[in-house]
Amino acid sequence: MPPPNTPEGVVTAPASPPASPAASQPTALLTGGGAGNTPLPEPEILELDYLSIEYVGPVDETLLCPICRTPFHSPVMMPCGHTFCVGCINQALEARSVCPLDRQPINKTRDYCRSPLIVKEQLDRLKVKCPNRRCDYECNREHLRGHYERRCEYTPVRCPIPDCTKYVARRDAKSENGCLHKEFPCQYCGEAVTSADCDDHYTDSCKGAIVSCDECGETVVRHRLGKHLAQDCPEGIARCKWHAAKWHRARCQVKGKRRDVREHERGCAYEFINELKDLRDQRARREAEDRQMINDLAARLARVEAASRRKRRPRERRERHEQGNEPAPMNETPLNPGNTETASRSIPTRNDETSLLPDFPVDNGARASPEAPSPEDYMLAQFERIEGHLEDLRKQMMEMDAHQSLGLLRTTARFNEQFAELGSKVGVLNMHTTWLMNMQRQTHVQQRTGSTTAGPPTAGISHTDDTSTTGALSSGTGVRYQAASRRSSSSGRGEHPPRL
Amino acid sequence: MSTQFAAKRLSKELSKINSSLPPGIELVSADNFEEWLLDIRVLDNNPLYQNQTYRLKFRFGSSYPIEPPEVVFVKLPDRPIPMHPHIYSNGIICLDLLGQQGWSPVQNVESVCMSLQSMLTGNSKNERPPGDDEFVRGNRLRPKDIEFYYHDNDV
Repeated sequence: MPPPNTPEGVVTAPASPPASPAASQPTALLTGGGAGNTPLPEPEILELDYLSIEYVGPVDETLLCPICRTPFHSPVMMPCGHTFCVGCINQALEARSVCPLDRQPINKTRDYCRSPLIVKEQLDRLKVKCPNRRCDYECNREHLRGHYERRCEYTPVRCPIPDCTKYVARRDAKSENGCLHKEFPCQYCGEAVTSADCDDHYTDSCKGAIVSCDECGETVVRHRLGKHLAQDCPEGIARCKWHAAKWHRARCQVKGKRRDVREHERGCAYEFINELKDLRDQRARREAEDRQMINDLAARLARVEAASRRKRRPRERRERHEQGNEPAPMNETPLNPGNTETASRSIPTRNDETSLLPDFPVDNGARASPEAPSPEDYMLAQFERIEGHLEDLRKQMMEMDAHQSLGLLRTTARFNEQFAELGSKVGVLNMHTTWLMNMQRQTHVQQRTGSTTAGPPTAGISHTDDTSTTGALSSGTGVRYQAASRRSSSSGRGEHPPRL
Repeated sequence: MSTQFAAKRLSKELSKINSSLPPGIELVSADNFEEWLLDIRVLDNNPLYQNQTYRLKFRFGSSYPIEPPEVVFVKLPDRPIPMHPHIYSNGIICLDLLGQQGWSPVQNVESVCMSLQSMLTGNSKNERPPGDDEFVRGNRLRPKDIEFYYHDNDV
């Protein structure tokens, strides 16, 4: 018997002896491979015939090849769009080179297109039964070949006896069984049968020695009578199926006619016990899984916390260093504003180390973990704090600015006043000097006229002009001076009428 | 191999026929995958075929459905040969569908029966093909070996 589910490479020879149930072959068991160590030729397998596969449930009409009327096997599409099995269309084109459906001319092989993948997928998903008669296996069609060629123990393989060309079920294909194709007459009907097919013969076609069961009256082949009594006959003696249950010391002891036992089995208390046991097993399994998961999570949590603490500690120190000589309450402000309460509550419980580093999550397991701020919260709090600082600084800057400009204004105002004062003083000095110079010039002129008795008339005119301009420039004092000069000029004119 | 192919295809057809058949068609016998007998009736009121049932005999070769089956009407006391310009009085049918050229492997027993039904339905001539007597007397060939000349595309 080939081991089921062995990988492809391992099952080189399904007929290899180590799997033989015969315990009379200790050498084969000991060597672990027996004759399998010498490479046996791969037994030929009767080719899987997709035409004779039985499908489970109805198959959509559109997936049937119009020629063979079975679901497509290796479908190909024609240029006209019609799809056929490649084998079917090959045969059809041998006879006539036209599409069987619309008679468009087709070139064999060359015109074939690959059928759409969606068709292939639909075909792959069709549920099929294993074509081997005694095998009950059902699967998607795409997996059938693997099952048939490698795993199914009923797959017909070449008879291991060299001269025989017939096929025998894989599980019977063992050299020690000899050739199972030697014919012998059936012991009941005399028909020629072989070991390979006598089982089917008894079941299907043996007409000899049919007996009726003494207990139930059903007619069975004599060969099958023992099995019938042991397994099927309703009048046979049987035990409750829970008698065989191995999981408990107490077993159901009910025994009697199979019919009665079947009746009993329907309500057998051991069935419920078995169900309870299943439930208990399930719960135990689930609990074990949960425990495992909790342990895993706890380990992960510890790792994550350790890692985050390693990252956070240097940063915390740096910040404390930057804050430097700020007052102590500043340190106490929680880094996470949303967590004020928990932080203040947890501070007193901290030991020396943690109180040095104000806002660490306390590493004492599940209690602290939900309250401890996550790294994101911590970072956010830091940002908020820094933003607050920035805002304060900005305000202070503005205040300073205002102070500065006010002080500047005050000092410059005084200077302005002094400048104005100085300006006026300069004006007064200017008037005084002008007046003095005029006085000096007049006296000089009077002295000249006094000596020559005829002063130049132009000088007098120009003089009055000069004084008037000077008077216009200066205020009050200038007016007096003008009047004085006019007086002097009129007196000069009066005394000295113009000679022109 | 091809025999198996034919048998498998025919077993599919048989299971479908056993489950449902169009009106006017009945399976009489299909004991093997070589010869089947079916009865057909014409369902409308064509006076030529009213209240008549005709027996068809299908013979399948090993290369069915690549090659066409041999289909003839069979004469029995209660199963006459229908009167039709393409049906000889010995039951041989001249229909391109059943010839090498007209056949397609997508055809099946059921579709052939329906084609014959409609061939009878559409006919209004109460006559045999030209040269029927001579043909029936002289023909020793199997239907598939006869070279028909499909001259009439109307019926």
